[in-house]
Amino acid sequence: MDTLTAVAGQIAQLDAVDSAQLERMRHEALTARAPWKAEYGAYQSGGWWTTSLMNASGDASDVTIGDCAARPTDLLSQMPATAALLAELGLNYMWVRLARLEANAFLWEHRDYDELDQVERHRLHVPLHTNTSAFLVTGGTKVHMTGGRIWRLTPTYAHGVCNLLGPDRIHLIADVYADDAYRRLARRPTLHPGSAEPLPSADQAMLAERLQAARGMAGLGYTAAAERMLLRLFYAYALPEGAVYDLIAELHTSLGDEEAAARWASAKRRLLALTA
Amino acid sequence: MPTLQLAALTFANRPSQLPLLSRLADILAASPAVTHLMVRGSLAHGTADRLSDVDFVVGVQDAELPAFVEALDDLMSIEAGALLPGWRDTIVADLGGVGMVFLVPDDGHLHQIDLYLAPAARIPRLRATVATALLLDREPAPTTTEEAAVAERFAAEFFAQPRTCAELLIEHLVLAVLLHKRIKRGQRFIAYSEWHRLHTATKDLIKTALAPTSRFWGWYQLREEIAITPIGRTCLGDLETAISGPAVPLAADVDAAVERTLALVERACPEALSGLENAIAAYRAYLELM
Repeated sequence: MDTLTAVAGQIAQLDAVDSAQLERMRHEALTARAPWKAEYGAYQSGGWWTTSLMNASGDASDVTIGDCAARPTDLLSQMPATAALLAELGLNYMWVRLARLEANAFLWEHRDYDELDQVERHRLHVPLHTNTSAFLVTGGTKVHMTGGRIWRLTPTYAHGVCNLLGPDRIHLIADVYADDAYRRLARRPTLHPGSAEPLPSADQAMLAERLQAARGMAGLGYTAAAERMLLRLFYAYALPEGAVYDLIAELHTSLGDEEAAARWASAKRRLLALTA
Repeated sequence: MPTLQLAALTFANRPSQLPLLSRLADILAASPAVTHLMVRGSLAHGTADRLSDVDFVVGVQDAELPAFVEALDDLMSIEAGALLPGWRDTIVADLGGVGMVFLVPDDGHLHQIDLYLAPAARIPRLRATVATALLLDREPAPTTTEEAAVAERFAAEFFAQPRTCAELLIEHLVLAVLLHKRIKRGQRFIAYSEWHRLHTATKDLIKTALAPTSRFWGWYQLREEIAITPIGRTCLGDLETAISGPAVPLAADVDAAVERTLALVERACPEALSGLENAIAAYRAYLELM
């Protein structure tokens, strides 16, 4: 299986969105007085904010998603173009959010547990405001979700998302239950070859140089920055799964901190959903 | 006399750079190698506006100065989100250390961050001559004569290194941000000075790319050395265009200079753009928001 085919199973482009409507939606997302909520999990750097457009309670600040029959929030009532698109699509929505990823923000390499679910549901992204330094990495390939299309993400591989330099990336994210409307939307999934770019492979000399730079940074007392420097290699190079976590453990071992090395080995198992 | 409740008003009128300044101070102070942290310029004097740069003097243990400078680009990229590697500040006064300028996005806007890294042994003298607001004052470890010499030698060698095309490109991008600020403030004399500096950087870029072994100083013999090939003539045509503009630029002149420089780099030394593509796209986006 070639890289593009493999990635196409993880991320696909569905229908186009009318460009004039998309511009109105972008304006709404950038100007609405939204109650953005920060979510700081173990698998992200911070800088990931969400606000709900459709959910169980109708309260935009309720952002902890779960199965429900979603209803519009007060925020969506201020966003007529966005509401119109959601209505036109006619999907069975579980939850609809705006997600904002700030500059220099990362969702670190991780694997979702969604494949364990019994209910068929799908995650759709509509990029509203983006830039070329915001992309998803999976299988050693980076995918920049360009505006103008609805994208479907079904990441079963380990993956990560970043917005390296900004400005903010804002996506509309809709979790939907599979039904006839969804199947019509998803009848012809594609992935334009230009959308997926294989990352260069990392040679041992480069990894050794970066590890040495991380040691230098930790030696100055910037240990957390040294860890993040190694985590960020996932977005620059095609690396074996979990390699960045192994590098951080190696960094701590070389610094004589076995407890930190064990903590990162454990983090690797948790974030990548490894059972061993 | 009644007691007035001014705290909320003071908070609402704090400089917009204060959260960024605070975040950067936290980042820098995390290292025990940092002995002092001082702010200078308008933020120290209470005269800042929304365009003011954040200007730090960072005292660093003398023996750690080389390692600190080496780690600085990575640190500023990872922890502060700097768009580009730092520009070796050739405008700042020599205070015995190393000056670097970074462009850091914060709250949707691009900010200029000046970091002057000074050996700890120089801090007492520096504090006596430069007006600063002190944020951090740690007692440095005793500095040996050899350690002070290491720092001094390092600072001298750091500035003696010839500038690469990538560095000169970054100099253009930093100066353009400075110029936009001068134009918005109506600081015509400073704008004139920085505009000339930008043209000089263009000349240096052309010489570095196309006449790297030039024996001639400054602006001398450019035609004789460079206008002998089509690419050389085109680049000198760009320089001619640059110096034929107004003495004090408008914002559109600055934007045109940036685009001309990027085209020049693409033509004469494309390797200088390697790895900076996303940074330049982001730079353009932030410049539109300035």
